[in-house]
Amino acid sequence: MAAIGLSPATLNGGQKLAMKYFTVAIALFGAQVLFGLLAGLQYIYPDFLYGILDFSVNRMLHINAMVVWLLFGFIGSVYWLLEDEAGVPIVGIGLANLIFWIFTLAVVVVVLVFLLVQVGPGEQSSIWLINEGREYIEAPRWADIGIVVCVLAFFYNVAGTFMKGKFTNIGGVLVMDLVALAGIYLAGMYYTPNISMDQHWWWWVIHLWVEATWEVLVGCLMAYGLIKTMGVRRKIVETWLYIEVALMFGSGILGLGHHYFWIGTPEYWFTIGGFFSALEPVPLVAMVVHAVFDAGHHKLKSTNNPALAWIIAQAFGNFLGAGVWGFMHTLPQINLYTHGTQWTASHGHLAFFGAYATMVIAFLYIALQKWRGDVYMSGNLMGAWKWKWAIFLLHAGMITMVMALLISGYEQSQIERAVEGSSWMGYFAAQGHRWFMQGMFWRQIGGWVFTAGFVLLAWDLMTIGKRETRPALQVQGE
Amino acid sequence: MSQTQALWWASESFWRKTAIWVTAGSFVVLIFLTFDTVKQITAGGKRVPAYATALNNRIDYVFDDKRNFQVPVIGPEEPLFGKKLTEAEAEALVSHGKLTTQAKNCMDCHTLLGNGAYFAPDLTKAWLDPAWGSKESREQSMVEFLMNPTDKLHNALGRRMPNLGITEEEAHATVAFLKWMSSIDTNGFPANFKPIDQADPEPAAEPVAETAAADPAADADPAQQ
Amino acid sequence: MLEPVKLANFFIVFFSAASVILFGASYALLFAWSRVKARPRLMPLAYAAYAGLFISVLTLAFAANLFHNGFWTFIVLLMLIGYLAAPHAIWHLCVGTHADEHEEGEGSPIKVYQQR
Repeated sequence: MAAIGLSPATLNGGQKLAMKYFTVAIALFGAQVLFGLLAGLQYIYPDFLYGILDFSVNRMLHINAMVVWLLFGFIGSVYWLLEDEAGVPIVGIGLANLIFWIFTLAVVVVVLVFLLVQVGPGEQSSIWLINEGREYIEAPRWADIGIVVCVLAFFYNVAGTFMKGKFTNIGGVLVMDLVALAGIYLAGMYYTPNISMDQHWWWWVIHLWVEATWEVLVGCLMAYGLIKTMGVRRKIVETWLYIEVALMFGSGILGLGHHYFWIGTPEYWFTIGGFFSALEPVPLVAMVVHAVFDAGHHKLKSTNNPALAWIIAQAFGNFLGAGVWGFMHTLPQINLYTHGTQWTASHGHLAFFGAYATMVIAFLYIALQKWRGDVYMSGNLMGAWKWKWAIFLLHAGMITMVMALLISGYEQSQIERAVEGSSWMGYFAAQGHRWFMQGMFWRQIGGWVFTAGFVLLAWDLMTIGKRETRPALQVQGE
Repeated sequence: MSQTQALWWASESFWRKTAIWVTAGSFVVLIFLTFDTVKQITAGGKRVPAYATALNNRIDYVFDDKRNFQVPVIGPEEPLFGKKLTEAEAEALVSHGKLTTQAKNCMDCHTLLGNGAYFAPDLTKAWLDPAWGSKESREQSMVEFLMNPTDKLHNALGRRMPNLGITEEEAHATVAFLKWMSSIDTNGFPANFKPIDQADPEPAAEPVAETAAADPAADADPAQQ
Repeated sequence: MLEPVKLANFFIVFFSAASVILFGASYALLFAWSRVKARPRLMPLAYAAYAGLFISVLTLAFAANLFHNGFWTFIVLLMLIGYLAAPHAIWHLCVGTHADEHEEGEGSPIKVYQQR
């Protein structure tokens, strides 16, 4: 790792491919923001686009764009570090490029079908061709199969490249994690009339992706990022990657229990969900202590300030979104009233953004630095106001949205859930309450601020380092 | 270096093994629990009733002192749409309804068993919702609402369900799916729910217009929209 | 076995649960800080944060009716002891995993971020 960026960079094959993935990821991030804005507006003006782009369509595109842009970001990031880690060129770069185009084309087709066809008749053909109608994994079955094929090709490249070259510890964890990622997705690919069974397996995909395999994937990216931007020693980073995997999977896999309280699954899940909910803060505590320890023991000099800022944002975002917001309503005694309210929306927004969006953005900056020819990205960077304001606006917008949703959810859990017992009347009594309406209003304000942040971020990503002539700072260490 | 070797519990190899064992261990426990859970939530069991049992009988939701929450109770025979079904017929009907809820993307406005989007009411106990007015008119009201919701009275907010092109057959099936879903034992979710009055002696034919005025969800009163 | 939270206690539950995590993090942060910068004066603050956590856990336990049942009481005890011990354990792990680094004699580790 001695010679990071000593020579002005020419990107390797994987990194060139990664740039393509990143481009699509940012475009889809934009789509996520756009459809979020539309859906949010429909809370305030219910007739807005009614019958043309109904809430269900906007919301579906909002959450699916998120899943796909994060996936594209992850895949791009892995391709970015692959040759560097393994020390050899990617085994099937031609296949990888082909798969990229197929994957992108499939996403475009799915989005067009969601937009233009929207719904189908209540038959198998609809869930195969149009819309599977299951939150987060609405993609029709043909696309599911396509995703699995793409992930398998991706897996072949990752595993094959590591096997041919050097199998680092980061590589090992990554490969195992991809096996789990692809395998778990299969649990979401079958039809059953039984809604309890449906949701039981659906949570395998959603929870075990989001709260287990994605976390570990991000852990791998973070490990690589720390070595690259701060010169933390590989051995330490890798040991901590294993510690994290142990803690994450140890608390996360059976943490699945906290989704099995109310969907028809047996009562013993209360016990399991409660126990692992109490364990979930432990990995976060570990990260806090270790971060402080690291900061105190290294003379840290960042080679890439924007990336470092987003990595720090990730630490906080993960802690607040997953830790605080999760724990606030995870115990079944209170979850009975918060389950399926804007509480969940509040938690979901902060956790997805804090834990995942931040990490992908950090990686984008790491990549862009090299892409620009390994330019200087530390203090006194030209045009630094852009990334700083982008980070500020995105966070201000997100926090506004999350607080507004929290207040709405609090009111909803009381009036709709506790007092009125979740009846139709109770639901609308809560939706019409002043707290709720104001919450939706402020959420929209937060959405606009977030949008401004996104525009600035996109602009910054396109221009950062363009006219920079100073070379990047070098990392100390190995 | 000698110090590093002494600290076996801080070494990379120790944590690699721990990570593997913890992951494998958790996964094995999960598999065992999954076998049991899948058995318990297969339709026809105690928690998730057979399709025909749910469709052919009255479903209620009453407080259970021992379990300390409301549980679904299978009541006297009360076939859906007045037609008693075999288990195979019932499963086919519920399945058609479930497919309809998926194809129409219900879950991106509504929640089912509390999961989904939050733009429209939870459907877990939609079958038992007092908003349908009376037990007698409920089935028909639900079918009509599903088929053509745009001009029905929803609420004071102006939020309406769009027309999703649901056919009469699909609407029947969806109602069957909703009735069956209301019979699932969800450990007391939603709490404090007050079901529609399903008591028997009540003579039929309450004036529909009156309930519609009182209940935002009741059928057909376009004038108010 | 489960006793749902009373309406009047909703806010207390949310607030105390959030406090548990926030105090827990403050405790971990101050604890690590005190050790890493060799400032024992910070340690009482760390334990003050733990005291806050302790009170929050108990408040949460009462508001969420956790003491009505043996299992949930066990969870409360687990949180009280586990969250006390976790930063200590993690600290030892940090020292252990960074052991060979220390031998290089890095000198005073006071400066945290050395910006240009």
